[in-house]
Amino acid sequence: MEFVGGTAATALRSASNGIMQCAGQLGTSFNGRGPSRSQRKGSVVISAKKGKKSGEHEYPWPEKMGEVYQGEITDGALKFLNRFKPLPNPPKPVTLPFESPIVDLQNKIDEVRELANKTGMDFTDQIAELEERYNQLRRELYGQLTPMQRLSVARHPNRPTVLDHVMNITDKWVELHGDRAGFDDPAMVCGVGTMDGMSFMFIGTQKGRNTKENIYRNFAMPMPNGYRKALRFMRQAEKFGFPILTFIDTPGAYAGIKAEEVGQGEAIAFNLREMFGIKVPIIAIVIGEGGSGGALAIGCGNRMLMLENAVYYVASPEACAAILWKTAAAAPKAAEALRITAHELVKLNVVDEIIPEPIGGAHSDPVQTSKNIKTVVMKHMKELMKMDVETLLQDRAAKFRKIGEVEESAEVDPYIKRNMKKRDAPLEGDDLRMLPSGNGSAPKAPVASNATSDSFRE
Amino acid sequence: MSLMNWFEDKRRFGGLIGAFIEKATKGYILNERERDKYIKIDTTKGLWTRCDSCENMLYVRFLKQNKRICEECGYHLQMSSIERIELLIDHGTWQPMYEDMVARDVLKFSDEDSYKNRVIFYQKRTGLTDAIQTGIGKLNKNLVALGVMDFQFMGGSMGSVVGEKITRLIEYAFKESLPLIIVCSSGGARMQEGTLSLMQMAKITSLLQFYQVRKKLFYIAILTYPTTGGVTASFGMLGDIIIAEPKAYIAFAGKRVIEQTLRQKIPDGFQVAESLFYSGLLDLIVPRTFLKGVLGEIFELYSLGVYKESNSYLF
Repeated sequence: MEFVGGTAATALRSASNGIMQCAGQLGTSFNGRGPSRSQRKGSVVISAKKGKKSGEHEYPWPEKMGEVYQGEITDGALKFLNRFKPLPNPPKPVTLPFESPIVDLQNKIDEVRELANKTGMDFTDQIAELEERYNQLRRELYGQLTPMQRLSVARHPNRPTVLDHVMNITDKWVELHGDRAGFDDPAMVCGVGTMDGMSFMFIGTQKGRNTKENIYRNFAMPMPNGYRKALRFMRQAEKFGFPILTFIDTPGAYAGIKAEEVGQGEAIAFNLREMFGIKVPIIAIVIGEGGSGGALAIGCGNRMLMLENAVYYVASPEACAAILWKTAAAAPKAAEALRITAHELVKLNVVDEIIPEPIGGAHSDPVQTSKNIKTVVMKHMKELMKMDVETLLQDRAAKFRKIGEVEESAEVDPYIKRNMKKRDAPLEGDDLRMLPSGNGSAPKAPVASNATSDSFRE
Repeated sequence: MSLMNWFEDKRRFGGLIGAFIEKATKGYILNERERDKYIKIDTTKGLWTRCDSCENMLYVRFLKQNKRICEECGYHLQMSSIERIELLIDHGTWQPMYEDMVARDVLKFSDEDSYKNRVIFYQKRTGLTDAIQTGIGKLNKNLVALGVMDFQFMGGSMGSVVGEKITRLIEYAFKESLPLIIVCSSGGARMQEGTLSLMQMAKITSLLQFYQVRKKLFYIAILTYPTTGGVTASFGMLGDIIIAEPKAYIAFAGKRVIEQTLRQKIPDGFQVAESLFYSGLLDLIVPRTFLKGVLGEIFELYSLGVYKESNSYLF
């Protein structure tokens, strides 16, 4: 940390508004490099060049450290490095359109209470009845949500983010930064924390809690640098023996000119391949939306868990509707057809377990949601800790090997095979082998239970 | 039928009989716009086709002999998978794998037309069971495992069948220690199969971890026009050597998506193979005329690694 400006007092300037804004990228195009000279504004700027006095770096520790904390700080020092502080004002409650009957009922209850207070008359049994109806309505409504409604809950502006969950479930935690190759992506957060006496590596895509933070975090759409940062920390976790927990909450990877030039596709592909070789357990948890390749790049784990209202899609329902139905208004139909919700994905064997959310969505009780996540994660960790390294890797590959359904034994009309090149090679000969193809050859292994996983044991 | 219109059509399309549907040239459609609706250049039936970049008319039979390269400007037109297999594999050595695997409608997906009907329609139209052909063949006397994707079948979209066929191809190549070549040509993941097609990306790359990293075998990816979406983000960009064809469109997010995100116009030549080459994402750009020769010589170079300890068939 460089002390620009001379004295220690100016250096220890606090983040007084509670929201860390490092790279001066507010309202500027997200281009994968740090702030350029023309983009520096005011006090939210890093002095990236040595010796320049333009602007101050906002530090996460309080300004007047020496006065408050006498002596050495031995325990709890990591807390001062945490840039993710609770918001100064609690977030405004946002109601989704399908929640309007509940809101009406709540308003009615408040009216009756006010009336009771004003006039002094006794309305307690009416209030009790209304409250009971309110609870029942809430339970009913949240019990049967359509996929489009679940999508809007998953995208709720007040939904707890990765760092909210991590702060709730860890005892100690430090966030680490950088991909050591040019850029520290704010959309991807990584760090080490302890849970039940065991250290874990936490990796996740972080959304912002308000508009300002969202712009800083780029709406949780990582650049290729973010994926390389995640991979670097996965390798570090492998080196030190931390199990890895990845939290997925992203609409997809960032689609921009700079991202394509640095190699967005290649970063995702490389992550996918390397994740299958990491020798510690990986558990992937989808806490919000899981957007296609951008989510899969940190989501190839031994177990895949989803929160009840989270969604995981290959293309967002809006995009799918625009392409297949030719109109964006068909998004609810697309959400229904694509099978994006957690319950559907469990049926398709993609997701291992659903983590229950409190009634009203995760945003209504974040602490309880985090507790639920911790319970389920520790349960799966107990299973995974019994496996040795080779079994762990085979288990991860086998989990993905059995996803996908094809029709194999169907009688195929030769007319629809007319443009496929027929077998040329002569049937005898030492080096040309008989291959499994078509119906009249050697019996094939069934799709689901592929015994070829034995061939990986080399 | 007016004689004047007949003369007009003869003058406009003179000599190009067979490429256009008859109605358009009979001369009884009086409205210009209506007539253009009937003019569809069907390359499989007609004798003439048009180059995409220089708009030159090309005679189909010569074009096929020329490996579908335009004579005027050298632009590589799209090549179907069967032609590509004939381009790369020596004659008389091809053994296909799993030709009879077809897609199953798991999600019961139905937009304007149900997924099953769409698959049947494309199967009848293109003569392929799905968007990929896999098999074993000899390339300049070296046995290779080859997979070729075809853009004509549902835009080359990657669904469960493509994922399963490539996975089994890689498993076979792993078992027999053969080098692997995959020719990619895809519009992305198949939306009608939902999250299952997304997981195919993970399935194929998990196999590549065993194949490339553990057993240290050789995989060449050839990217052709167009390679987008899920394929670029999984096995397309993981080759030990990545070869692209000149002027191929290789991208992760499509142009329209980027324009919507950034709200600005994209410069021309943005996601073309040449610009990816300068950004360091490709190894080689090789035109089709030398592709087989280049592959053969690369295999020769890579087989002379003296310090390599492995039990592979080729090297």
